[in-house]
Amino acid sequence: MSGKTPRRKSFNMLFYSFAGFLFLYSAYLFLSNVDQLFVTETAVQTGGITAVWGEDRDVLNKFAGGFWNDPYFWKSLNLTVVSTLITTLIASVLGIPTAYVLSRYRIPGISAIEVLFSSLIVMPGSVIGICLIVMFNYGPLWNLQNAVGFKFAHSLFPGMVLASLVLSFALGLSAWKAAFDSVNPRFEHVARSLGSSRWRAFRTVTLPLAKSGIIAGIILAWTRAMAEFSAVLFFCGTFRELPPSRFSNFTKLIKMDQADWVSVAVWAQVEFGNVEYGFALAYVLVVIGGISVYVMHRIGAKGYVW
Amino acid sequence: MWERFWLTVWTSLASTFFSLCIGIPAGYALSRFTFPYRNLIASIIDLPIVVSPAVVGAFLFGITTRFPFDLISEHYGIYIGRNVYGVLLVQFTVTAAFCARLMKASFDMIPTRFEAVSRSLGASPLRTFFRVVLPMAKNGIIASMIVVWARAAAEWEGLMLFVGATEGKTDIMPFAIYLDFNAGMMGWVTSMSIVCILMAISAISAMKMIGGRSNVW
Repeated sequence: MSGKTPRRKSFNMLFYSFAGFLFLYSAYLFLSNVDQLFVTETAVQTGGITAVWGEDRDVLNKFAGGFWNDPYFWKSLNLTVVSTLITTLIASVLGIPTAYVLSRYRIPGISAIEVLFSSLIVMPGSVIGICLIVMFNYGPLWNLQNAVGFKFAHSLFPGMVLASLVLSFALGLSAWKAAFDSVNPRFEHVARSLGSSRWRAFRTVTLPLAKSGIIAGIILAWTRAMAEFSAVLFFCGTFRELPPSRFSNFTKLIKMDQADWVSVAVWAQVEFGNVEYGFALAYVLVVIGGISVYVMHRIGAKGYVW
Repeated sequence: MWERFWLTVWTSLASTFFSLCIGIPAGYALSRFTFPYRNLIASIIDLPIVVSPAVVGAFLFGITTRFPFDLISEHYGIYIGRNVYGVLLVQFTVTAAFCARLMKASFDMIPTRFEAVSRSLGASPLRTFFRVVLPMAKNGIIASMIVVWARAAAEWEGLMLFVGATEGKTDIMPFAIYLDFNAGMMGWVTSMSIVCILMAISAISAMKMIGGRSNVW
């Protein structure tokens, strides 16, 4: 017995150290760049950034220490949050019934449907963006858009929402399907045999049992929609770079023609040489993602979802 | 095109190997042991998954020019950045957390009873792990390995900020789609997209055939 205790200790140490390595790696990855937030304007100027870009790019050279004073930041954040909320709403309206059907009913060819839905998760975002472009900018849908006089690509409402819907729907679907799988269908059968209708059995038995999983799936879908980058980049691009004539009157009315999707804005700012500002936006995304994942863990999505 | 295909395949295979080395033990630890602030630690491990990979790329770009890494790379003349090692680092960062998550799921499916029995019959923890847990989790591990490989092959947003694409060196296929789309070569773009779609679908159906769960994520 005395021989085993140190062995067990070393075993535990081994496994803890690997989990700890991952923990420290992610923590270090995100925390080591905090100093980017405290770069002053003078430091930026001595860094020669303004000299490179000239006076006309001064909006882009806002130092990160005051990023919360910048309307571009708030506009982008509002735009992203509102679009992702709409996306999550659509994804859950479409996804929860789909997940229930996929988990309960036997339909011929259901495994093919499942493979298609789950392969969306491992599809490159650029491919999703290309697929959206090929779908909406060619063929019958393009003719339809021309007839209506309203373009989907580079637009706020259908464009950004569609681009972020694909992955958030796929991820939410997998979480909701897992939630419904973890509920034993026996309970539902019992409720049916006791005379309740199909809808009532779903509402009073399955839904309360799967509730935490469903909420976790909604949070997951929202987080994934916030984290969407490449599909939005392909389908909507950066709004800042577009000429004013490309925007619809609605976009101009709510003054969103000078705003970007936040993660696209991170990329755009870093590419423009405005690294500190990009890092500030990136930190905002990290904080939002961290909080939502923490809430998801606290709600305690049961079983194997998380 | 086939150069790009094989580049994608081998970089994602290598980063899958690295992330498995970290992910299997970490997933086991997350699945079996309880420790203080478990939710907090699990959320921080999950951070690279749930923030945009572009943001992860930006942060990698930050830390490789910072305290320990810059000294190491300067001293030994290692450069991780705009070369293949940068591609591997991005893919590792994004898939390691993903891999730990999937491994946790596949270890969760194994009842703890078997381990307890094996321990009570006198096997050491390491022996239990290698002789009992790993063979039982084998299917799940292979299935999640395939998913991790497909996820690594799909990763390009991080590359966009951290690595960029050098023709013939770091232009893995999803990134090459972006490059050729910007260059207006729609034919290349569609053919490469089709190859990527086929890769993803075949990976997922191989996983389903082995019998893993895709709904882990």
